[in-house]
Amino acid sequence: MSTISDSIKNRPWIGWVLFFGTMIIVFLLGVLTYTIIENRTAGQFAYVSTTDLDPLEPRAEAWGRYFPRQFNTYAQMADTSFQSKHLGSQRRDLLDQNPRMVILFAGYGFSRDYNSARGHTYSVQDVRETLRTGAPMEAGDGPMPATCWTCKSPDVVRLMDEVGVAEFYSMKLSETGHEIANPINCATCHEADDMSLKAPLPALSETFARLGRDIETASHQEMRSLTCAQCHVEYYFGEDNYLVFPWDEGMKAEDMAKYFDDRGFADWIHPLSRAPMIKAQHPDYEVFTTGIHYERGVSCSDCHMPYKTEGGMKFTDHQIQSPLNNIAASCQTCHRQSEAELIRNVYDRQDMVYEVRIKLEDALVAAHLEAEFAWNMGATEQQMSEALHLIRHAQWRWDYAAATHGGSFHSPLELTRTIGDGLDMAHQARRKIATVLAEMGHIGEPDLPDVSTKQLAQEYIGIDLEELRASKDKFLEEIVPEWLRQTAERHERWEINRRSDEVEPGNYIYPGD
Amino acid sequence: MARIKKILQFFIPPPNWRIPVIILTGAFFGIAAYAFIVSNAVSYMSDDPATCVNCHVMGPQYATWFHSSHREHATCNDCHTPQDNLIKQYYFKATDGLRHATIFTLNTTPEPIRMHEAGQRVVQANCQRCHDHTNQFVTSGHVTYDHVQEGKGKMCWDCHRDVPHGTVRSAASAPNATVPVPKSPMPEWLRNLTDR
Repeated sequence: MSTISDSIKNRPWIGWVLFFGTMIIVFLLGVLTYTIIENRTAGQFAYVSTTDLDPLEPRAEAWGRYFPRQFNTYAQMADTSFQSKHLGSQRRDLLDQNPRMVILFAGYGFSRDYNSARGHTYSVQDVRETLRTGAPMEAGDGPMPATCWTCKSPDVVRLMDEVGVAEFYSMKLSETGHEIANPINCATCHEADDMSLKAPLPALSETFARLGRDIETASHQEMRSLTCAQCHVEYYFGEDNYLVFPWDEGMKAEDMAKYFDDRGFADWIHPLSRAPMIKAQHPDYEVFTTGIHYERGVSCSDCHMPYKTEGGMKFTDHQIQSPLNNIAASCQTCHRQSEAELIRNVYDRQDMVYEVRIKLEDALVAAHLEAEFAWNMGATEQQMSEALHLIRHAQWRWDYAAATHGGSFHSPLELTRTIGDGLDMAHQARRKIATVLAEMGHIGEPDLPDVSTKQLAQEYIGIDLEELRASKDKFLEEIVPEWLRQTAERHERWEINRRSDEVEPGNYIYPGD
Repeated sequence: MARIKKILQFFIPPPNWRIPVIILTGAFFGIAAYAFIVSNAVSYMSDDPATCVNCHVMGPQYATWFHSSHREHATCNDCHTPQDNLIKQYYFKATDGLRHATIFTLNTTPEPIRMHEAGQRVVQANCQRCHDHTNQFVTSGHVTYDHVQEGKGKMCWDCHRDVPHGTVRSAASAPNATVPVPKSPMPEWLRNLTDR
């Protein structure tokens, strides 16, 4: 047997292979020890507070410098590829999918344009782009107040701090377009110094105070839902467009309906049936609190922001999304069933609620059109008043169920109860209208228009989509770039990781300065 | 003796290669020794539950066990490694340990962490091993992993769902628990020197 020494003497390349081979092994060993050390160190410093962030810092990137894992998962909300059976994270034209809603929302912005919601990172962009916000070419123009921005950006809290809460609400959306730039992010839920949870938007804490509860006393687990309840709730614009949650009588559909009835409040008068309507926003928190998961102490974040580990670091997944896209971490943390079974359980509930919801929708569309038919025949207000009150209440109950995100899973029982209530009212309304028609001598089915597609329905209620779209495009091309330019200028003035503005100091500069 | 000499001679490099080879071999052994120490390699021979939180992703599992009645009677290894003989036990420890180490090093820890098939077989057998006396007249006390696959019974924890780690799995169960993760590998005198 020849020795290595001999082999190398004869063929020197063997020596070089051995030399570099050992080098690679030593290198890999080095990498291994490095990862061990890194993981060990990560374990010791799972959370160390090192920020000197401004408490009102509205830029996610500035926070992200200290919390890269949270920031990276947050940024993944830009991904809109996930699609579940009924919704998902992409923008879908709900009117196209379900033209009944054009008739139900006739006379109101939602009959022009109603898209399914995308992730938080799109909040500001989607408000600019929807046809509901119009095309304000001058500051102060347009149909919407600044209140519409409230839930869309941490710039709102910054601005409220600067100009005052009531003053902010009394402005127009278009007046503040250049100020509201950063989508919902870190500052919407977190304190800057220790990252504890907070609810800086005033409406929730004001409502709590009105009802005799102090939000400061909420536990961490409660805050893991209440931060969401700053926005994912039913609300309305009160005097001077001041944002209010109508929870004084309770959080169920009939409780809030009573609240609105007592105040004689209507969002709009339906142009076909002339019923005074209430638009439900998205009573997600209210519906969730009637469900079994809430009852068992589960918070929104437990399923929508499950824990995640990366190497040694445990953190909450900030890609807030449908748990259907992450069954393992969301559901199987507690439930032992297979993924397929859990998905089926969710879809069953959604399908069943959807089934009755559509029945109510059909009844409501018929009720609106039949009421219109009755008015055209010369019905009097006295004859119609009862039917209109029923339509108002039936549609409110439908909307309470339809507008809530995930409600058919959060609380299928409560929603079917609410929809059932609405279905009863809608049919009562139709019977009243039939009686009115009979009193006027019309017997049998009234002659109703064909509103079976989005286009037909929008034409029937007189919406010129082309024109709306054209003015919106003009607004997006001419006004929005100017807003973005002013935003970039403002951000330019601030330090990269800490907001401090010498040109417009305001009264909100980081107290350490 | 002559044989050993022959083997040694086989590895001895040519004279002009000796210096670089000595240096590289030194580097190899040095870094290997370092890896041995920082990975707490010796601790893996023991049954101390603290060994399992060498990788702190196991923190919640440690914390939930620590607050369970099993803490007084069973360590991690008592349930999660075979107990029929030493060779089987250490073979299982080695293969399972390498699998865990690979997952941990590659940052692919699943959430939640769940037992795979081999682990379930072992734990089921160990439930029955200790609770033998109470289960001797109960047929369900003799169900194995294979029985369950054939639909002829349930695993122990299908009913005793909270034993011993609680009903909530992984990080969500005890997100902020303090567990005995390894201390800094840096000797104190060195830290004192560098902290100055």
